[in-house]
Amino acid sequence: MKLNKDKLADFLAAIPGKTIFGPQLCGETLKFTAITKAGDLCLTANNTNVPPKSVVFPQTETMLRFEQWATDIKTAEPAGEIVLFGIKPCDARAMLIVDNVFSWGVEDPYYLTRRTNSTLVGLACLDPCVNCFCTSMGGGPTSTDGLDLLLTDLGNSYLLEVLTGKGEVLCQAAGKLLCEASGADKDAAKLLQEKAAVQIRRQIDPSGVQARLPALWESPVWEKISASCLGCGICTYLCPTCHCFDMQDETEGVESRRCRTWDSCMFSEYTLHASGHNPRPTRRERTRNRINHKFSYFVDKFKVIACVGCGRCINHCPVNIDILDILSKVGEDVL
Amino acid sequence: MNTHPYIPNFATVQDTWYETYGDRCIKTFKVGFDDEEVRDSWTHLPGQCAMIGVLGTGESMISISCSPTEGKFLRFSVMRAGKVTKALHELEAGDKMTVRGPYGNNFPIDEWKGKNIITIGGGIGQAPLRPVIEYVRAKKSEYGELTVVYGARTSADLCFKGEFGELARIENTCYHLSVDVKEEGWPHYVGFVPALLMEVNPSPENTIAITCGPPIMINFVLQNLKKLNFPDDQIYTTLENRMKCGIGKCGRCNAGNLYVCKDGPVFSYATLKNVPEAFA
Amino acid sequence: MPDFDKLRALAKETISRDDIKYLIGWRQGTYGYRTSPHFVRIPEDADQLIFSPLCSSNLATYLALAEKRPVPRGSQPDTRKVAILVKGCDSRAVVQQLVEQGIKREAVYVIGCPCEGVVDLRKLEEKYPHTLDRVGARWENGNVSLDLPSGNAVFPREEIVAGKCLTCRYPNPVIADVTLGENVEVSGSTAFEDINRFEVKSAQERWTFWRDKFNSCIRCYACRNVCPMCYCAECILDKQNPAWIQRSVNISENTAFQLARAFHLAGRCIECGECERVCPVEIPLSYLNRKLVKEVTEQFAFTPGVDPEAKPLLVGYRPNDKGDFIL
Repeated sequence: MKLNKDKLADFLAAIPGKTIFGPQLCGETLKFTAITKAGDLCLTANNTNVPPKSVVFPQTETMLRFEQWATDIKTAEPAGEIVLFGIKPCDARAMLIVDNVFSWGVEDPYYLTRRTNSTLVGLACLDPCVNCFCTSMGGGPTSTDGLDLLLTDLGNSYLLEVLTGKGEVLCQAAGKLLCEASGADKDAAKLLQEKAAVQIRRQIDPSGVQARLPALWESPVWEKISASCLGCGICTYLCPTCHCFDMQDETEGVESRRCRTWDSCMFSEYTLHASGHNPRPTRRERTRNRINHKFSYFVDKFKVIACVGCGRCINHCPVNIDILDILSKVGEDVL
Repeated sequence: MNTHPYIPNFATVQDTWYETYGDRCIKTFKVGFDDEEVRDSWTHLPGQCAMIGVLGTGESMISISCSPTEGKFLRFSVMRAGKVTKALHELEAGDKMTVRGPYGNNFPIDEWKGKNIITIGGGIGQAPLRPVIEYVRAKKSEYGELTVVYGARTSADLCFKGEFGELARIENTCYHLSVDVKEEGWPHYVGFVPALLMEVNPSPENTIAITCGPPIMINFVLQNLKKLNFPDDQIYTTLENRMKCGIGKCGRCNAGNLYVCKDGPVFSYATLKNVPEAFA
Repeated sequence: MPDFDKLRALAKETISRDDIKYLIGWRQGTYGYRTSPHFVRIPEDADQLIFSPLCSSNLATYLALAEKRPVPRGSQPDTRKVAILVKGCDSRAVVQQLVEQGIKREAVYVIGCPCEGVVDLRKLEEKYPHTLDRVGARWENGNVSLDLPSGNAVFPREEIVAGKCLTCRYPNPVIADVTLGENVEVSGSTAFEDINRFEVKSAQERWTFWRDKFNSCIRCYACRNVCPMCYCAECILDKQNPAWIQRSVNISENTAFQLARAFHLAGRCIECGECERVCPVEIPLSYLNRKLVKEVTEQFAFTPGVDPEAKPLLVGYRPNDKGDFIL
């Protein structure tokens, strides 16, 4: 199937009863926000600054509402149907990874309702960023993992690849807006996709990392890596697979809400006990935990690395702490 | 009755008393669920925890310090330390707190039938051990010897002070108390808990050792249990870490690849000795 | 600009001294234009040191950020000095920390690096996106010369350096135990043209501007953590009891956070621009900080971080201080 770009607005308008989120430029920041018209979309840019996890796992969300002294607790309204339009394959794969956390044992109703109600329309990543390394983490610029529909930009049109029933629903709603893709279109898409894969120059073989990490527990490598770390939340907040949150009660007048907000294992308060004891007292332990969590603990629990190679943590780290550099140091086993 | 994992149940405080006094005082709350259905369906075993809280302030993971054999109520002994525990300390009989849970695993206490049990506690660390003691006490004929080793900085810092005398009257049960520094009129041991353990000198034969207390105490108790030739799988401890959700989502309570809230809080030393962060 | 050999030789000599704990400088980053703070603990570490127009990090931040591990029983605390490379603006942070008694003079060994301005990486990325291969850079006759994968490119300074460097009045370190290279010409002006232009906008326009910016804030606190003057042992942002600023990320709390930080820097901000550089959502924080710099300059004729003997602005009172802003 194929969608001419001049029909994009109609395609979006034809989607029935779903809120559409897409990459939008808010000031200088590219992030996924609800869009009202096709013109809001910024589909040509690289990865959004803030990953689209912010849609299914908002940075701040009200879990419960209650009044002081009342015994009546209200939960948030269940989320409606949403479409994430133009999500990059790496960010879609990240959602599959995070799904593990919110569904093991007790299910998290807020996250899972949003995920169940979301349709992911991917946009093949034809111009990967300098620090993209998705191909090393089991994905790729045209990976379809987690997507319902994949679009490939052919210049004047998008080639559509229907991947699931949810994707099919969107195509049916679009009806005659779509046309049959020719063999030449498919060949062109294939060529562009191959070109994109080659453009990804940063590579690493993560296969040995998990096995090597335990022996490096007391290695000076962690002190070395974390020496320049500022302890800010950039790498974790912008990570599409980081999922930690804090819960706080916030009161205004007599009304309170129990909120959850993103939290970061790089903050010292994250593990600080009320007694004042901190099991991860310095940035050395926190950096070590971040790497171990992504490449060892998470793999133990959910059989998948908690990194999709989107490159955001490298792009945005103020002091050039580079996860690929860390992994290669772990791999070298020399520290 | 709600099945939403984050909506807590209301429980009314039936009775409260102070275990210790001072800046970081410990107050015990005896509470009962308001909803009859919750009260009847609630089951927990020694070692498990609950998220208790005050609406508008927040929640805190606290170990349940009573055994299900004691009756249809819950007990929590809470040290006044952070925002939530300070708010909890304001509660008196008749006030409401919120409770969700029970969370975490329990001591495999039913597997220990026929065995001797020794508990080694320090300070507030006695709270998760108390339900074990009560459980074994209630089913005494099914267990071997019960030995309680417990210490605190001073005699005023000991929790559950009134309950030890009773233990002495139970068959095959003994207790050993300690304080860190010498006090006027103190009839028991003076010194640290790990040293008291060596004095007690328990045999590892058919015996399970459970310890809980400050990290430094646990470390030395473990060393001493090894000196006493306790095998790793006969040593149990219960960990605590900062928690927010209690159900393995919020991320912060991990020690290595274990989530304390779900995989724990009870672990055998055989498991923990391979977890580098366990005693951090 | 010193050549790297001279810099590295000096660093080796410095780190070999008995009274130096470690030395903080810059090294080439892992890719493209990036550079990274570099901790020299043994003489060999010095071989990676560089100083170039790409070295934007203000290393003075690390003086306060150093984590103090408990001293093992029976051993003495390590009281040796920390050696630190500073550009002009960075040196003002050192002075201001001294003035506030955040650090002691005998605890630091300052190596001054006169600076003709650091490159604004965002400008460079716009010109040459997707640059993976490492890029070298030098100052050359008032220009910035870059060794790009595609060949050498020379840019007039005005075109490529960070905004803060165009208004910089202190390109030469204001404090140094030793200086590398020659002092450079001071070209920055004391005018606040950027702020003046902003101030004439209507309140409505200004609020719309900041509302959009603060709405983007994700509260990663990189601006605070990178700030050499944000070194309070306990920051009000982290306090939960009472929570002066709640954790919820919304326009109200974000504004409270940004304004609280700006006011805490009044009379203390040394205009290194690090907060603006590191912001992952590109909030133009220098506008906020320079507005307060302007007020402090006009009301009190005070410039923080230039005189180690000065008193912090907000602890002093002079009978002739202006009071016309008091309502």
